[in-house]
Amino acid sequence: MSERQARRLLRAYPRAWRARYGAELVALLTELSADRPVCSRMRLDVVRAGLAERLHATGLGSGAPPAARARSGALLVLCAWMVFAVAGARVQKFSEHWQGATPQASRGVPSVAFDVLEVAAALGGALVLAGIALALPRTLAYIRSGGWPVVRHGVVRASALTAIAIGATAALAVWAHQLGTPQRNGASSAYSTAFVLCALLLAVALAAWTSVAVSLARGLELSGCVQRIEALLAGAICASMLAMTLATATWWAALARVAPWVLHGAPDGSHASSFALSLFLPSVLMAIATCLAAFGALASLRGSRLILK
Amino acid sequence: MEGKARTNDPALLILTSLSSGPKHGYALLQDIAGFAHVQLGPGTLYGAIGRLEERGLIEALEPRGRTRPYSLTESGGETLAAMLEELRAILDVGTSRLKRPTRLAHAGARA
Repeated sequence: MSERQARRLLRAYPRAWRARYGAELVALLTELSADRPVCSRMRLDVVRAGLAERLHATGLGSGAPPAARARSGALLVLCAWMVFAVAGARVQKFSEHWQGATPQASRGVPSVAFDVLEVAAALGGALVLAGIALALPRTLAYIRSGGWPVVRHGVVRASALTAIAIGATAALAVWAHQLGTPQRNGASSAYSTAFVLCALLLAVALAAWTSVAVSLARGLELSGCVQRIEALLAGAICASMLAMTLATATWWAALARVAPWVLHGAPDGSHASSFALSLFLPSVLMAIATCLAAFGALASLRGSRLILK
Repeated sequence: MEGKARTNDPALLILTSLSSGPKHGYALLQDIAGFAHVQLGPGTLYGAIGRLEERGLIEALEPRGRTRPYSLTESGGETLAAMLEELRAILDVGTSRLKRPTRLAHAGARA
């Protein structure tokens, strides 16, 4: 293996790790390849270890200290919730008129699934707020004791993005009032484009606030008990996300069986296909976010349990 | 290491290897292959070295060219002794159970 190839393998590792051990690992790899050709198993070992180091650097690896695992796991759940909320907003927009377009007699299963989705969304939102409220006293203390400069730039950026997003949403709402229902639901390409741009702006603003929350949380010193409660909340949030993902899938499957035309925003009986791309993409995103949240919640629960031991 | 010691645990193998004196990465791999017949991957080796150094069980010495030897710290020596003691306890239990006549009698009856 040439030194160049060895250095390419090192890209799997985080920068700080490369700075400390990179030269040694490259030297070892080139020395090993002088004895015998470096097999694909060895390359895989380096890449796997590099990814494990990246995980360790985030505090989520199994070798990370319990407090780092508990905190990073809970923060991963928060980030996953943010992604989930963006995808969920798309599902919410998609499902605006489904009841009116579905025959009364066929609404049974989709209605139950949709109710579960709404209850789980409300519960999940309340749990996220509870988690934020729980950390709020320590957050304020941290900001007062010199933490403000750490997050000032992020707060200014997030505030600016939020102001722009709110302004754009208000303008869009005014425009929407001047349009008819068909134009608001896809007939006007200009309105649809503006809607997507506005949604993107809101998502970016949400991501900016999540980034601020992550920066703040990394500087907090939470007691073992608070970390345990945060971990339990993270687990419950993950459960609500799972419930919403399953409820969305059930709602989709039930509608596809009894009223597939609703999935295409088309008149009764005009469509038989159960596939709708604008529902598929957010559903996939919701499933990915749920998996990430499950990973984060497990890490947080394990870490917090070790802290209390 | 915070869990139970295993004979193929990279940390145990590295600590055992360093107990005979400082070594760099390549020498560690050669030594471990010699005494334990375990071929550690380079990524696994440096992953374990990183953790051991983080926990103060080994320390890096002055670099020699592009390589850097590592040596066992006092705390590393104590940890290695505790891990070996743990393995010895399992070894003793296994050995004594194998010697019991009841087990041999059961085996004979089944045969």
